[in-house]
Amino acid sequence: MQLSKSKRITTLLATATCTLLNAGVQAQETKSENDWQFDTAILYYGETDRVSLLEGVVSATKDFGDQRVLNTKLVIDTLTGASATGAVSQPYAQTFSRPSGDGQYTTSPNELPLDDTFKDTRVQLSANWTQPIYKDTRVNLGANISREYDYLSVGTSVSAERDFYNKNTTALFGLSYQFDSIDPVGGRPIGLSTMVVDEGQFGAGGAGEDAFEAAFDQTRITDTDDKSTIDALFGLTQVINRRMLVQLNYSYSTSSGYLNDPYKLLSLVNNNGETQSILHENRPDSRAKHSVYAQTKYAFDNAVADVSYRFATDDWDITSHTIDSKLRYNLSESDYIQPHFRYYQQSEADFYRPYLNDIDALPAFASADYRLGEMTAITVGLKYGHKMNNGHEWGVRAEYYQQDPKNAGFENIGVLANQDLYPSVKAFILQFSYSF
Amino acid sequence: MNIIKIKTSKNHTKNLISVFFIITAMQLGGCANLGVQPWERDLLAKDEMALNADAVDIGLDEHIYFSKEGTSGGRSFAGGGCGCN
Amino acid sequence: MSDWKIQTADDHIKGSFFCMASPCELLIDTTDPLVASHITKHAAAEAFRIEQKFSRYRNDNIVSAINQAQGKSVAIDDETFQLLTFANSCFEISDGMFDITSGVLRRAWTFDGSDNVPNEETINQLLAFIGWDRVNFDQQQITMPPGFEIDLGGIGKEYAVDCVAKLCTTLAPALSILVNFGGDIQVTQKKKEGKYWLVGIEMPAQDTSKTKNNNTTYNTVMVKIARGGLATSGDANRYLLHNGVRYSHVLNPQLGKPIMDGPRSVTIASDHCVQAGLMATLALLQGKQAEQFLIEQEVTYWCYW
Repeated sequence: MQLSKSKRITTLLATATCTLLNAGVQAQETKSENDWQFDTAILYYGETDRVSLLEGVVSATKDFGDQRVLNTKLVIDTLTGASATGAVSQPYAQTFSRPSGDGQYTTSPNELPLDDTFKDTRVQLSANWTQPIYKDTRVNLGANISREYDYLSVGTSVSAERDFYNKNTTALFGLSYQFDSIDPVGGRPIGLSTMVVDEGQFGAGGAGEDAFEAAFDQTRITDTDDKSTIDALFGLTQVINRRMLVQLNYSYSTSSGYLNDPYKLLSLVNNNGETQSILHENRPDSRAKHSVYAQTKYAFDNAVADVSYRFATDDWDITSHTIDSKLRYNLSESDYIQPHFRYYQQSEADFYRPYLNDIDALPAFASADYRLGEMTAITVGLKYGHKMNNGHEWGVRAEYYQQDPKNAGFENIGVLANQDLYPSVKAFILQFSYSF
Repeated sequence: MNIIKIKTSKNHTKNLISVFFIITAMQLGGCANLGVQPWERDLLAKDEMALNADAVDIGLDEHIYFSKEGTSGGRSFAGGGCGCN
Repeated sequence: MSDWKIQTADDHIKGSFFCMASPCELLIDTTDPLVASHITKHAAAEAFRIEQKFSRYRNDNIVSAINQAQGKSVAIDDETFQLLTFANSCFEISDGMFDITSGVLRRAWTFDGSDNVPNEETINQLLAFIGWDRVNFDQQQITMPPGFEIDLGGIGKEYAVDCVAKLCTTLAPALSILVNFGGDIQVTQKKKEGKYWLVGIEMPAQDTSKTKNNNTTYNTVMVKIARGGLATSGDANRYLLHNGVRYSHVLNPQLGKPIMDGPRSVTIASDHCVQAGLMATLALLQGKQAEQFLIEQEVTYWCYW
């Protein structure tokens, strides 16, 4: 051995050692193979005066070795509270029939009509299997089923991904099919039909009730209807350097079938903005969407930044931009905080109307659902996570979400000028998670 | 009286799409020169650098935004519908 | 085979199992048996995984596939590639003296304290199958000339120690854990309040004279270690005695013969066990100049002649 190289041997050896010990994911096995990894969470979402959601998730993953992975997930959520129906507020009290036809509710003057019969529990089960099919190529199969009392959804997906250039580039192509079957309470309302409200015109007693029911049923189609959705996804992931990777996705989605929300309404007003009658909404029976999504993740020494942008557009004319960013900052080896900021902006659907004017002919499609209107939304949040000595990890996340619907250029005629037709929706989110 | 609606111009949308594809092309150009050697994957191998890190949180958020907004998905498959939109 | 147990001491818990022909222990700075069990179970699983994957005594793992390839290409995974890259770096740093293809020489040399020194011809025949520079490998595969074999015994145990230490850091980022596989040691981090661990290491008795004693007396020496790694390379009574000359078990891969006049045992302290182990081996390969080499390298060492 050349003694002249002497001092450098320690350094060379140190470098070679660091390379060996830092390399690769396999040296980081935190769970032995054949162990299940569980991620659980419970989330509370509450809007001020409106909808509340409580949702629990249990996700179990097992690595069978050789890149074969199974994931199964169970989600249970319950929704309570009142949702905006789309009808406009008036300087007078208003009465509406419940979607089931059993009973009515009244809204006070200058108050936004909300339907509070919106209580539901949903259970969803999904499973995903990944396996390599040949060198550097993996295929993923997924299936899911979801059930609420008025809604059933089943779906399946298949995707394939392939690594190139020393796994620095990964290309993915996937297809999914989702079939939904809707059986709304009280049957499906006929699009743009007038809501039947019992204001005494049917007479009293049993005969009166029957007459109401008959009139109500005239506005209903009483069997289930379906919706089919096919999605195609093209994705590309690229490692830029030791600290950074990017992902770029393009997806195309087409849905057809019953796309209405059976519980949403429109107010038909006169020239003075006074409601003459209430109509059920009607949306087209197909929708084609395109979206482009770009995400970057950057590793600092003690932090990871994740920023993404999504642009989406569809043939309902809704165009949206979403910027989502979070920064995970490691306070120590075992805990971190993660602030989160999201900005969302969408333009209104071409059939969106805050209300309809009885002078105009009825359009073919119309909806006053503010979720199809112009709006911006902001989310700010903070998460704290802690890894315990036994390997388990827990976290708590608090977020504030505010939606600001906007007037897309409609005139507030008559009495509507004094109404708040685009109230903000404010929500708090609190989540606890536990992984083991 | 007619309902007056001002339609936003579609041009700015088209411009945005073009800018997007230019960024994409820039990202993909020279793909073969980008990347790391296998022994430089120490930071990339960390759990928090995985693209599906915080999958449960993301799934919960996507559910909220799917039911409260007009656009959904884009990141991966939606996987499971609900009657909330 | 996947047996492990824990024993509680007054201020720490010891997890132990038997792997790679050595007693393996983990000294864990906790008094919570659940935590210690969790760590020991996963550490043992990782140690067994590495042993099963890289042991040359098995015929169902990647090493046996490589050694039976008879000139054909064998596909390898990332971890194997990393180890081969490391072995390659060591080959270059040592100017060819550290060579993982030199294992075939064990067919000629059996270090059992006996008198059986092989003849020149046997050695020369085996030399034809040695030479890491004739091995071709990349991230996907390794191809060796027919008759070649690789032996990862020189780095396997230290690698396992470092991998297990790394695993312990991920499982218990706030705990100090000392991993000790038969004298190859790595500590994950300093104990709280800066105290050190006390570990017993077998070292040759200080007063062993050079030529008279055929059997080295080993004492258990208590070593204080706060952080980093420690590895020992030495005889452990593996030697040959012929015509009054002691042949150590460390072989020069270029000559096919043992290094003469080297120390019986070298112990090195370094940041990582793998690094310490390699340094100790390199020192032994220096023969007479071992101590001078270690002084020049400015490493912390103990050298026994």
